[in-house]
Amino acid sequence: MKPINFIALVLFICGVTWVLTLSERSVRRIQQAYYATMAPFLKGGSSIETRARNFLEEIEHSKDLENQLRAIEEEYIKLRSIEGRLRVLETENAELRRALEFKEKSRLNVIAARVIKRQPATWWETAIIDKGQSDSIGAGVPIIAPGGLAGKVDIASEDTCSMILLTDERCQVSVQVAGTPEVGILHGTRGRYGEEPRLILRHLSREAAILPGMKVITTGKGGLFPSNLLIGTVKEYTPGPVEGVALVQPSVNFDELGVVFIIAQKNEPEG
Amino acid sequence: MGWYHLSLLSLVITACIFQQFTPSFQSLCDAGILLVPLVFLCAAVTVGAGPMLLLAFTAGFLWDAQHVITPLPPELAGNPEVYDDPGGDVKFGYSIMLYALMGFFMQGLQPLFREGKWHISALLAGIAIFLYLSAEYLCVTFVRGDLIISRTLFLKISFTALLTMLLCPLVFWILYRLAALFHHTISYEGLASERNAAD
Repeated sequence: MKPINFIALVLFICGVTWVLTLSERSVRRIQQAYYATMAPFLKGGSSIETRARNFLEEIEHSKDLENQLRAIEEEYIKLRSIEGRLRVLETENAELRRALEFKEKSRLNVIAARVIKRQPATWWETAIIDKGQSDSIGAGVPIIAPGGLAGKVDIASEDTCSMILLTDERCQVSVQVAGTPEVGILHGTRGRYGEEPRLILRHLSREAAILPGMKVITTGKGGLFPSNLLIGTVKEYTPGPVEGVALVQPSVNFDELGVVFIIAQKNEPEG
Repeated sequence: MGWYHLSLLSLVITACIFQQFTPSFQSLCDAGILLVPLVFLCAAVTVGAGPMLLLAFTAGFLWDAQHVITPLPPELAGNPEVYDDPGGDVKFGYSIMLYALMGFFMQGLQPLFREGKWHISALLAGIAIFLYLSAEYLCVTFVRGDLIISRTLFLKISFTALLTMLLCPLVFWILYRLAALFHHTISYEGLASERNAAD
């Protein structure tokens, strides 16, 4: 081995040792700084992505109109084009109305945020939202979406937050099967890719009276999530020798996570 | 350390920014394109062991800064009587070691690359991505427990390796351009000296 390579290897080992022995607080600070650096790119990229999607939708729409060109007159096509655009606006309007209605209906004090990046990781179910410490949001704060609980804040930087989705194995929630005394800890699953997400509910009684279709809600125990937030419905219950395990279908559609609501600050922002 | 090496560092950081915008394909078992590992693996084959380790450190550090889920401080982790599992994950920095291992793996066939057979290195990069993802998944599994191996997992890793590998020629082209720009010679010193001695 060349001396220079040996020195490089020694320096590398020292560097790795330093990184591996960093305290969790230091790691979180590094991650906060990383997300703060990435925030302008993410926000910029998100707006470009939105424009591109609108553009593609317009192209798609234009293609539809081209097919109709053969059969109808030019004026009619123009009207159809206008109608199509109005339909897009109408859909968007309806979506925003639903979101607003959800916000108004919610008993909780919430802050609306937009998901600007979904699942940038390989094994981790995470997303980036466009609200951060500047909106008094800190780590651990619960996030809900139309449908129920969506996850919690992991790292909060100045303008953005990284959220752990409910579908990640590391997002644990104390829940109860509605209408029964059964309580347990629910978390995401590993090894399901390209399939409908499922959640695992553990620590249930060995032979609990749980049937498919029963609602699962948060208990509020443990101090992380408020009570009575909908999580999903039971798909399957398997009694075991020690404890029962249920498979739960989340009520939130994680494939179309556009707008989320952060439950108002209860923790001080980090850093 | 020359301008070429510095340009590689910039390239890794740029890849990290572009990585934010790479899509995942739900129809291909959520497979994605891993730009940061790809740029690192391709760059690793064009430099010596020292600069490769520096690149591995940078790429691994940035990768973990983005991905690793660090446990919340105890005051935010909830009541330990209810949430008895602290929710920790793989240790920040583990990727640096994986990157270095993959870098050495790539350098194993460096002589062929330096003879101009970049397509073999491209193929090797695909294999390295497959191994990297498998190792990463095993690391996650080791920490979290419950070894879960499914068909979709295998497909996700395979498709990701394949999709990433398809971008290899583009990355090698960029590297050749950078090498030309900064007058860095991508040639095998060992072979060159042997040939010189033979002449």
